[in-house]
Formats: sequence, structure tokens, C-alpha cells
Amino acid sequence: MQRELSTYPLGPSLKNKLIQSGFMLVDDVYHLKPSELSRETGLSLEDALEVIKTVTEKDGDPTDRQSKGPKTQSALEILQTEQNQPNIITFCQQIDDMLGGGVPLSKMTEFCGAPGIGKTQMCMQLCVDVQMPKCLGGVEGQAVYIDTEGSFIVERLVDIADATIQHCNFMLKQNQDDVGELKDFTLENVLKGIHYFRCHDYIELLANIQLLPDFLKEHKKVKLVVVDSVAFHFRHDFEDLSLRTRLLTAMAQNFINMATNYQLAIVLTNQMTTKVRSGAGSSGQSHLVPALGESWGHASTIRLILHWVGNVRYALLYKSPSRKEKDVPYQITVGGIRDLIHDEDEEMGADNNKPIKRQKIS
Amino acid sequence: MSCRKLKRTGLSSNILEKLIRHNISTCKDLLSCSQLEVVKILSSGPATADEVFTKCSQSCSPRPITAYDLWKNRCEANDGFFATSLKDLDVVLHGGLPKGTISEIAGPSGCGKTQFSIMLSLLVTMPKSHGGLDGSVMYIDTEGAFSAERLVEMATNKFPDYFHDNSTTMSELTDRVHVNVIQTCNQLLERLKNLEEDIISKKIKLIVIDSIASLVRKEFSTTLGRNLTDRTNLLVQEAAILKYLAEVFSIPIVVTNQITTRFGNDNIQDEQTSSSGLEDESGYVTAALGNTWSHSVNTRLLLQYLTPVTRQVMVAKSPVAPFTTFTYTIESAGIIQQDGGAGHYEGTDPGKQQIKVRSALPFQVSQSSSLLS
Repeated sequence: MQRELSTYPLGPSLKNKLIQSGFMLVDDVYHLKPSELSRETGLSLEDALEVIKTVTEKDGDPTDRQSKGPKTQSALEILQTEQNQPNIITFCQQIDDMLGGGVPLSKMTEFCGAPGIGKTQMCMQLCVDVQMPKCLGGVEGQAVYIDTEGSFIVERLVDIADATIQHCNFMLKQNQDDVGELKDFTLENVLKGIHYFRCHDYIELLANIQLLPDFLKEHKKVKLVVVDSVAFHFRHDFEDLSLRTRLLTAMAQNFINMATNYQLAIVLTNQMTTKVRSGAGSSGQSHLVPALGESWGHASTIRLILHWVGNVRYALLYKSPSRKEKDVPYQITVGGIRDLIHDEDEEMGADNNKPIKRQKIS
Repeated sequence: MSCRKLKRTGLSSNILEKLIRHNISTCKDLLSCSQLEVVKILSSGPATADEVFTKCSQSCSPRPITAYDLWKNRCEANDGFFATSLKDLDVVLHGGLPKGTISEIAGPSGCGKTQFSIMLSLLVTMPKSHGGLDGSVMYIDTEGAFSAERLVEMATNKFPDYFHDNSTTMSELTDRVHVNVIQTCNQLLERLKNLEEDIISKKIKLIVIDSIASLVRKEFSTTLGRNLTDRTNLLVQEAAILKYLAEVFSIPIVVTNQITTRFGNDNIQDEQTSSSGLEDESGYVTAALGNTWSHSVNTRLLLQYLTPVTRQVMVAKSPVAPFTTFTYTIESAGIIQQDGGAGHYEGTDPGKQQIKVRSALPFQVSQSSSLLS
């Protein structure tokens, strides 16, 4: 190992002491016990232990690299795990098809859209759907909901959960399966399976994300983490844009780690911002783009843009590593996100589940 | 919470000393640093730095609550909403304007935004038996449109029994409406920042800002560019403060907004534009302050003219309600909902929802034009 010790993230005083005592390369520290290192360099025992841990953890012993080093996977293995990986369905067939079965686990998905387009509704729908029992193709997990905007209205969630449970019961009855399996899929349990955090500023959000892995360790069933919205706090109070970019990238990295370590889906929402086209001739022309800038665009693996075309809501697949760019309509009903239906006959067709287009008012 | 001093996070004193020497004294400062910076400052390894991060995060991270507990609390308290006294509107909104969130009322001038605000102020001061919240209201008036006379008139007409020949209830009412006249953006921001004291000491149960738009539209020119970014920043900052207050004290916040004419090729309801003489061919009237502000409000109600007498309120954005419309008239008792005329409409982007303005003046203009010619 020829890497220099000075390239490790160690404090300057530690580095100085190491260099003064002649430790330049990783090889020099290898195979030393903390007590020996401490004696030779004059570091305290704790510091010596930390130095050794830092240096060895990063690279692993060259001899047993197989076990410690990063494991490589063949594409075949990845294909198999990806195919076995269940998706969280959105209850809108067309969006599911577009995404290849729904919102994938172990990936980061971002929903961007104008105000009132239904980003929060989508998040709530997913929080309920992630808990669908396995026999109906669900994930049977739980959800973490991080709310930065305060738009989480629990009454609305109850509406969506009710409709979803009804729908699942109906599906089972139709298939003449044992309804007993759905005993656990009740409103009470669904609501209990959603862990809600409210973050009032970006520091709370960062702290929250910092601690989330610990929370996930305790709550192994969590299969979905929702942040609604990631943009709000990062769009004000920031004089220093480079700080913002750095914090955002660090946050994205944390999310990706969580997604892969715990095989869960990360769903973020983002706002839209007005961008002015520069260039002569077209001055004053503006169009909407997702907020938080270009570099944030790299963060999420899958990006959907929700937008209006006239009176119809559309979801546009804007970025995806595996699916084609596509634009599909959807609608929001009392029961949540649904397909836009033109005909009465529908695949999932059921009387009580026929997407109710309009809520009746007295 | 993010300004919490590191002193209270339980870090050991020598770590604390090193951090403070580098001007890191609050959790905010620390969490804005990268791991490498902290490693350098502490002159230790990354594990120690992580520990510091974790300790600090623990002290300012919010606690989780399950949706079930949230729901149970709401059901038990049974006051998640503030009834507007427009019966059908309350029904679609699950009981009224949601507490703890920002509701916006936008509409053309003279459509009843201020009337709406005054009526809501009146309702808040009413005892619970009359459908009120039995609290005070902080009315932040930027347009100088608040009229105490109107408030009293509305009170005596809406609740004739309660205010009948009873000067004590009337003085109680007027005592509970705190009006603040604000004339610049800076004043407004300052006011919002120190509103908390007043909310506690005066038992404020509703904050009204009438209007959020007038000051910023006066002070910031709308030519696109840096100026507009500043305006957006200011608005989002105000929204963040309001959201915090709303949530901590569980009170509804009502802001009014003006309208603006929007130009663009993305006009989706062009078949209607021709019906209104005031509109340009490619322009349409919609709520002001732009897209980013629209993200900040949780509920948006649009007011518009139908006929010279009746007006319409549209639910244009709501986390709970579908797109619906109701007709109302303005009477001496305030905003009165009319039977019939309730219905659904094909909704669209609330930032682009078209608003009907008064299309003709109620008197003949031909005389004056003949004078001119």
C-alpha cells in the first residue's frame, strides 16, 4: 500500500505527529497495534486506534481483499435482483407501466411539479400503497414521511387509505381468496405504519436525515422514505449558493446510501421555478424548470414532471435509466391517484372503485 | 431550534472549545460544515467527527409521530378546521380552513377579499357556541382597507341576538381585533418575526394579512431578473415564518392576494378570453405573485365576478378538497352563500386559473364617450 497517510481525513495535529515519527505510507501503519503506534508517535491511545481504524477500514488488508473490498456483481446478478425487487404501485396503471411496474425500491425517485398538481397526493398515495399485502403484489412495508411544507393533512390521508383498503378487499373477494389475509390491512394499521416527521428548517431536515439510518435500523419494515418537499427550505435563506449545492449533494448521497443499504424507495418532491431564457430576441420569455438548479438534477435516478395540459394532469417521465421518455395522463379523485378513464369499463373495474370523478356535495 | 447552542448538546468540553474557537457555536454552523472540515478543526479522526454530528443532529432533529397518533389527536381535539360559515364550502374543506396552514384568498379588486377577511376576524372572536374560536385576531393591514365600522355592522347583522343592545359583547369584540397597519416590506418582515409574543399574550387565534401582495408589488419592479429573485426570496421567507407560527400555535393563517394579467402562449382557456372585454387577446387574469408563492400556500380560494351582484368562490388548490365553486353575495351581514350555483369545474394549474373580472361597468358609459367626441 503506497498511499500516503496525509491523504486520509485525519486532523492536522495527528498527521504532524505521524510524519514526525516517520510514518509516511499506509504500509508503515499496517500490522501495528494501537499501543505500539501510540508509543512510537506519542499519540494518545484513542487517537492511535482511530488512525488505524481510518486507514485500515478504507482499504482493507491487501491479502483478504476479497472479503473486505467492494464486492463486484455481474450484470446477471443485478438483473436477477432487479427483477425480484418489488415495486410500489401508484394505483395509476399508466404511470406504473411507464415506470415499469411502479416506484422502484433501492432507487431515488423525484416528482417535480407546479403547485396544486398533486405532488403531496402522490406521496400520500404511495405511503398507503407501500403497505399493501404481498398477496396483492404489494411490498407490505412501512413509510417515513418527512414534511417540510406542512401540507400533510391527515384527514386526506384517511380518505386515501380508506379507498385503498376498500379496493384491496374488493380485489380479494373477486379472486375468491381468503379475506383473512387482509385482517392486518386496516385503517388503524395503515396509519400506524406511517412515521411522520415535520422539519421546520433545513437544519432540522439535515439533522433528520443524519439520524434516519438509526431510525431505519429500529424500524426494519420501512420500505419508503418520502420527503415533501426537498426544495422548500433550500429556496430561501441561502446567500451562499455553493454551500447549498454542497449540502444538497451530501444529502443526495445519504439518500442513495439508505436506498441501497435498506432496499427502500426514496421519493422526493421538488418545486418548479421560472427560468428566463437568455439571449437577444427572446428576452422576457420564461418557462418552468425543476427548482434547485442543474447539479441537483443529477441527484435522483428517476425524475417525473407532473404538469397540466389544459384541464388534464399529466406525468412526464423526464429521466430514467431504463424506461423511455413518456407522457401519460392521470387524475386525482377522492380516493387518490387514478387513471384517467374515458370509458366506464375499466380493468380494475368495480362499482365501488370506479374512479369517482367528482365528490358529491350536498 | 436550529440556532440551539452547541453547549446544550452534551458534547465534551474540549471538543466544544475547539469548535467555538473556529466560530462554530450553534447546531446550524456545525451541520453546514463538511466532515473533513470538522476533522481538521478537531484534529481527530472521522469517527469522532461523526459522533459530533450525530450528537448535534439528535438535539435538533424532529421527533417522529405515526399518522395514526396524529389522526387520533386531531379527532380528539376535533378542531382541526376553522369554519368559514359558508356551509357548503366548509363541507368540501372537511370543516373549514385547515388550522396550522396558510390559506390564500385571491381575487380582483372589489370582489370581497377584505370583506371575507373581516368576516373571518369576526367569526374568530365569537364564542365557541356560535361557531367561533373564542380568540383574538391579528389583522395586518397593508392596504388601509380595514374598516371597524364594517366590522360592527357585520357583527350586528350576522349575530343580531348576541350583539343586540349589548355594549359589553360589542366592546369585547372590538377589543379582540388587533389591527396593525404596515407600510413597507421590511416592516412586515420585522412584524412577522416578532409576532410570537403577541400571539401568546393576546391569545391570537387567527392571523390575517390583507394583503400580502400590495407591498411587494409596490416595492419590487416586475422586470425579470435579480429584482424578481429578491422578491421571491422575501415571499418565501415570510411564508416560512407564517408556516412555523401556524403550526406551533395551531392557528389558521389567511392572506389575501391580488390578481395580475399573465401573457403567454400557454393560454389554455382561450375560448373564454374573448368573452371579457378587459383582457388582451393573449393575456388572462390570474392570482399574482407567481409560481413560487403558489407553492407556499396550502389552500387557495379564488374569488371572481359572475354577475354584478353575485360572485363566485373557487377552491383552486387544497390538499383535501376537489375543484369546486360556490356563489355568494356580499350583504350587510358579510359574505352570504347562495343556494344553487355550487358545482365542480374542470380544474387546472392554480397558478394559471383564470379569474373573471368585472366585464362591464354597471352604468352606461356611452354618454361620456359622446361628450368626448
